[in-house]
Amino acid sequence: MDRRDFIKAGAGMSALAASGLSAPALSQGVAAKTLRFVPQANLANFDPIWGTQYVVRNAAAMVWDTLYGVDDKLVPQRQMAESEEVSADGLTWTFKLRSGLKFHDGTPVLARDCVASLARWSARDPMGLMLKAIQEELVAVDDTTFRWKLKKPYPKMLLALGKNNAPCTFIMPERIAKTDPFTQISEYIGSGPMKFVRGDWVPGAKAVFERFADYVPRSEPASWLAGGKKMLVDRIEWLIMPDPATASAALQNGEVDWWENPIADLVPVLKRNRNIRVDIGDPLGNIGAFRLNHLHPPFNDVRARRALLMALNQEDFMRAIVGSDDNLWKPLPGYFTPGTPLYNEEGGEILKGPRDIEGAKKLLAESGYSGQPITMVVAQDQPITKAQGDVAADLLKKLGMNVDFVATDWGTTGQRRAVKAPPAQGGWNIFFSWHAGADCINPASYTAIRANGDGAWFGWPNIPAVEQQVTNWFDAKNIDEEKVAMRALNKAALDNVVFVPPGFFLGYTAWRSNVSGIVKGPLPFFWGVSKS
Amino acid sequence: MFVYISRRILATIPVMAVVALFVFSLLYIAPGDPAAVIAGDQASPADVEKIRQSLGLDRPFLVQFGEWVWKLVHFDLGTSIFTGLPVTALIAQRIEPTLSLMIVTLILAVSIAVPLGVMAAWQVGTWIDRAIMAFAVFGFSVPVFVVGYLLAYFFALELEWLPVQGYTPIAQGLWPWFENLILPSIALGCVYIALIARITRATMLEVLQQDYVRTARAKGVSQGGILFVHALKNAAVPIVTVIGIGIALLIGGAVVTESVFAIPGLGRLTVDAILRRDYPVIQGLVLLFSFVYVLVNLAIDLVYTLVDPRIRY
Repeated sequence: MDRRDFIKAGAGMSALAASGLSAPALSQGVAAKTLRFVPQANLANFDPIWGTQYVVRNAAAMVWDTLYGVDDKLVPQRQMAESEEVSADGLTWTFKLRSGLKFHDGTPVLARDCVASLARWSARDPMGLMLKAIQEELVAVDDTTFRWKLKKPYPKMLLALGKNNAPCTFIMPERIAKTDPFTQISEYIGSGPMKFVRGDWVPGAKAVFERFADYVPRSEPASWLAGGKKMLVDRIEWLIMPDPATASAALQNGEVDWWENPIADLVPVLKRNRNIRVDIGDPLGNIGAFRLNHLHPPFNDVRARRALLMALNQEDFMRAIVGSDDNLWKPLPGYFTPGTPLYNEEGGEILKGPRDIEGAKKLLAESGYSGQPITMVVAQDQPITKAQGDVAADLLKKLGMNVDFVATDWGTTGQRRAVKAPPAQGGWNIFFSWHAGADCINPASYTAIRANGDGAWFGWPNIPAVEQQVTNWFDAKNIDEEKVAMRALNKAALDNVVFVPPGFFLGYTAWRSNVSGIVKGPLPFFWGVSKS
Repeated sequence: MFVYISRRILATIPVMAVVALFVFSLLYIAPGDPAAVIAGDQASPADVEKIRQSLGLDRPFLVQFGEWVWKLVHFDLGTSIFTGLPVTALIAQRIEPTLSLMIVTLILAVSIAVPLGVMAAWQVGTWIDRAIMAFAVFGFSVPVFVVGYLLAYFFALELEWLPVQGYTPIAQGLWPWFENLILPSIALGCVYIALIARITRATMLEVLQQDYVRTARAKGVSQGGILFVHALKNAAVPIVTVIGIGIALLIGGAVVTESVFAIPGLGRLTVDAILRRDYPVIQGLVLLFSFVYVLVNLAIDLVYTLVDPRIRY
């Protein structure tokens, strides 16, 4: 018995003497029903429509339910919805809610709550915006039925309502959902399997969720956001730990049960501990992003952009991000998530085979580049962006480019990348980011692949050939048509270099061996997770 | 004395106002965009701009500053951009862990450092003196986070005597509260033990050369009486000064310590707020820290009068 056990035993004996209860068994039960989780980042706010960070989405998935949810095959399944009907012309969708749904304040979930929630969501989400643009009406027919009438068919309706990328179609009570989508809500009432314990929330340190006793899970087995979301623990505590070494130590000595994203450096230490399990967390991984500004020279010329593809070695970038663990990265001759149904390498030859530095230099010269400074904005406080920036700076120097390396932080990068002015006037040529693989399985949620000029993501590519294929995908009637569009899209995006893809990488997750039911997925799913 | 204390407290107002203006201006000039952080990386530039507008961040500097001052004169520190919670509520949530860490560290530092300094002065030139000064150099030289990791490794991971991380409010029991503070207080305290021990030694050495100490010895006063009654009291002013400065410095040290031991205190709140550009929170914290600094200086001045009756205001 160590000193802490001795003290605990002493405390337990005192409690036993004082109360007459079996204190050790009682405390053991409470511990087993509380899951302590270290999330990837701080839950600084809690409005999953206003702020679309992944960490907010992940917490929100416990508190708010969705009408549909994708399963592990990425197929949307009914969740809050009991049924849906689409008219023969594809213009009118009628949805019916399943019975017995309740919000955490005890009020029933009604169709008007769904209408208000979808209206708020559709003002922020890319697919929602598309739906809003073709919306004829979105109305509650009765308490359990609502109708969405469109001006033109939208074959991806169920995917829009069930997708897992932020913002999801979380259903809130009407009074909350009527909040302006650009203003933060202040009440966190959902109908999901867990309630948010507002009083225990210490932003930046702790967020607490308690099991919602009145939640009625579906009867099907849980699969990602679909199926029966059965909670096997009573309480989930999110403990925010900014320091990875602390999180690692806390997991090793049992102070926390599950660490969402251990850094690669610490994984060998965790793997050596027989009380800890380590596995790939999200099989859909992440796609690096070496983003170019299409508005200004030299990258307003496709030859300069293609020169980078010819010279870039993805292995250099990936090893800088994940280290020497070859399980954690894959080359990516394209833009979409490997292992998903629409993944293809059409047009990807330029990223394969030996790298051609001399050819790239020649192409760069043809583009008219003559040594002007290339402003590369690199966030140093994010290991992934820093690693990409360091490797890219070396690559550009090898190509004879004059690199103006702006080492800064993520907040500043976020501000500067929005500046459209030339680099010499506060703008930029290159910045780095990464995208969750779950967002990159198709164009619906892949903001970064869009090339619609001013409406596009930072860098503002304007490439009609890419946009045409995005439209073709949205209009596709079946998977075969989708695949055709996606192959053409990958090729058009690579030919014109929407951005430079430095590769695909994965991350680990780690948990104590007394925790079971953790599944691989694009977000941590807490239903089905138990602790002995 | 009452007039003096009142005057000093009132004098804090212009000091804090200048500090606040400086910090507000600095944040406004510095790059960084809270709207981009809130919106997430998948958001479109238009979304980011709309969030910026909804937060009022697109308004001119003078308008934002004027609004902030207006709220301040109504004792309102504003609302966090990120959480939507009042800054006062956020500070209230975080003040107990930081105060606890500072108090335990200070008690630990003073109770170890002063006897060590006295001992070193008494045994000047011996191996004891050299050992104590070597420890002091170590305390100065090794960063807080290194000491923190070493302590966590041995006492939490290897021996399993103490928890690695976290904070338990004192309302939940004295031992759970203290248990969580032992390692961080030692980590944070090392540098202050070193600082106070060195100052105590130096001051004591000077005092021990004074005539009245020689007189006390001649009168047959015991060594303990000489050291702790005659000498230490007369060496107290510089020691009190360095302890006071240490309190202010502890706030800075707490930032690292709170991160290493995952303590939800003001240090972590400050770092988080700066990284996210949560301007109202940063401004509220700077005001608080300025106020603490001024109060600590005032307290030091008052303690001088207790330890040295010749000092009068």
